[in-house]
Amino acid sequence: MQIKLFTISTLFVLVTTGLFSQDVLQWRGADRSGFYHETNLLKKWPEGGPNLLWEIDSIGNGYGSPIITPSVIYINGEIDTISYLFALDRSGKFLWKAPIGKEWTQNYPGTRNTPTIVDDLIYVTAGLGTVACLDAKTGKKRWSVDMVTDFHAPMTRFGFSESLVVNGNDVYCSPGNTDTNVVALDRFTGKIRWICKGLGQMTSYCSPLLIKLPERDILVTFSKSALLGIDTRDGTLLWSHKQDGEGDVHINTPLYENGFIYYITGDGNGSVKLKLSADGKEITEIWRNPVCDNTMGSFIKLNDFIYTASYGRRYWYSMDANTGKITDSLKFDKGVTIYADGMLYLYNEKGQLGLIKPNGPRMEAVSSFKVTRGTKAHYAHPVISQGIMYVRHGRSLLAYDIREK
Amino acid sequence: MKTRLCLFCLFLSLASGLMAQELTMDEIMDKYYQAGRFDKLQQVKTIIMTGTLVQQDLMPVKIVRVRPDKYMMEFDVADMTAYQVFDGQTAWMTAPWTGNAAPQVLPPERAVDLKNRSDMDGVLYQWKGKGHTLELAGNDTVNGFLVYKIKVTRKDGGIEYQFIDQKGFLPLKRLSYRKAGGKEVPVENYYRDYRDVEGIPFAFTVETNNAGRINEIQFESIELNKPVDLKIFSLPEKK
Repeated sequence: MQIKLFTISTLFVLVTTGLFSQDVLQWRGADRSGFYHETNLLKKWPEGGPNLLWEIDSIGNGYGSPIITPSVIYINGEIDTISYLFALDRSGKFLWKAPIGKEWTQNYPGTRNTPTIVDDLIYVTAGLGTVACLDAKTGKKRWSVDMVTDFHAPMTRFGFSESLVVNGNDVYCSPGNTDTNVVALDRFTGKIRWICKGLGQMTSYCSPLLIKLPERDILVTFSKSALLGIDTRDGTLLWSHKQDGEGDVHINTPLYENGFIYYITGDGNGSVKLKLSADGKEITEIWRNPVCDNTMGSFIKLNDFIYTASYGRRYWYSMDANTGKITDSLKFDKGVTIYADGMLYLYNEKGQLGLIKPNGPRMEAVSSFKVTRGTKAHYAHPVISQGIMYVRHGRSLLAYDIREK
Repeated sequence: MKTRLCLFCLFLSLASGLMAQELTMDEIMDKYYQAGRFDKLQQVKTIIMTGTLVQQDLMPVKIVRVRPDKYMMEFDVADMTAYQVFDGQTAWMTAPWTGNAAPQVLPPERAVDLKNRSDMDGVLYQWKGKGHTLELAGNDTVNGFLVYKIKVTRKDGGIEYQFIDQKGFLPLKRLSYRKAGGKEVPVENYYRDYRDVEGIPFAFTVETNNAGRINEIQFESIELNKPVDLKIFSLPEKK
């Protein structure tokens, strides 16, 4: 009986997970983990890098990544202080562009989030506080709210930067006001579903994580000096985890796996592992490692090891996920990490893309090349879809063929 | 045995110090000119240096020099491009992170540094002709290397120190001063990773300690005698 129940529940989880990943395209892959479930990719790049299939250089300023359906690429960019959502076909030809709202231009000017697409609707934000839902086919706006005027959001130091989470009929945003800290909106109408006061702290540029437990779903995000766990049924704050740092920049999306939450923040506690209780109502700190202090390049957890860059030291590190101890280091400055088909893809702030083989506790550098096209800082997280690696560098989107021939 | 070894090392370092002191300023300069291949450098009309400015962020940086006196540094702060320029007569800069992207002409006291940077050969080459005076201020060490410490009193009255490697005769450090809040604030530049570019040695890494604020420029390419559009040095017209 136990076996039957286990099998059925496992099957249910697999089916629902499958549906979830089919229906939602978002920041850092289907589950925000940085994993791209691709096969037959190059295990070594030719000198100078893989073949550049095409480049478009007119998507506006920005740091957000594209999301890619079988036929359309969506990416946002800032032109003359306005944030636009662009739709391109898979060869990089423009289909349409839609204005979202005023964009952040005071420092690091440009769009700073990745769209989320669910079925035929797209959810985006703009740096000065717009949250919008658009028709994915036409770009026509369904609804929008302004977090500053509607929710009295205080302006941040670097603009609103959240890549939105959608869950069922809800979409969540983080105005960061004392009364309206995190807000759930009906994703079809934009009406408020619930408001969480959190700890009353400013928002901290995090793109949240959604944890689905049998008993409840939990939205995990950061405010200025704490990680927050929020019950998505009614916005109840379940728990928080204090950050010891002085800063307010906690960009990286946390990760949940088998009862444990992992997060890395450069302005707070560094790398941390928490145990989440089965009902999701409690957390217990297991370890922390202040050396691995990645600020916005995220991390990859593969089996028992975590791979990430240290922003203070400008090295890449592998860590034992059970102990938090560093097991290897690699000199490759600092930046972004994603994973596909057995390989880590590192994109550092000097514009170098590295192909690294993760070998348990070790990292083996295989190939690298420099992205010489595009503009401004190399911050955007690469995306891999159908054997093509998409790299955004400022106003340019570059498509590299990384298929094994 | 240990004491003997220490005495021997002390003797060696004193002897090398004494030997180093024996060179005259002209002899040191001759060796410096040879090591820096100033004979070749005189044939260079333009230098374009591109790389990364490493602070908290890693941001692109580009430095362009054109003989006899044009200098431009293009660099990014908070991913916004800024300029520091000397066009041969006027020094100007932009600082978009302040909220004002308009170019500002620098007053004479602030223009000095940019004007000095426009001298492709540096302050030591033909120093007499340039109206500077040099004085050997003794021996020193920079990152473990024994160096000549040379005090430079520039024609403009400014004082700086150059630290020349006693073996390789290339500069390893520069100490200068800038005025801030009515005080003289020290600025240290450290030169590392010398590589030959068309037979001329260039430091590919320059670390700057500006009153405790440290940054580093890591050059990825240094190109000589490439065409440069002189318009890049001109003060942009106000819009």
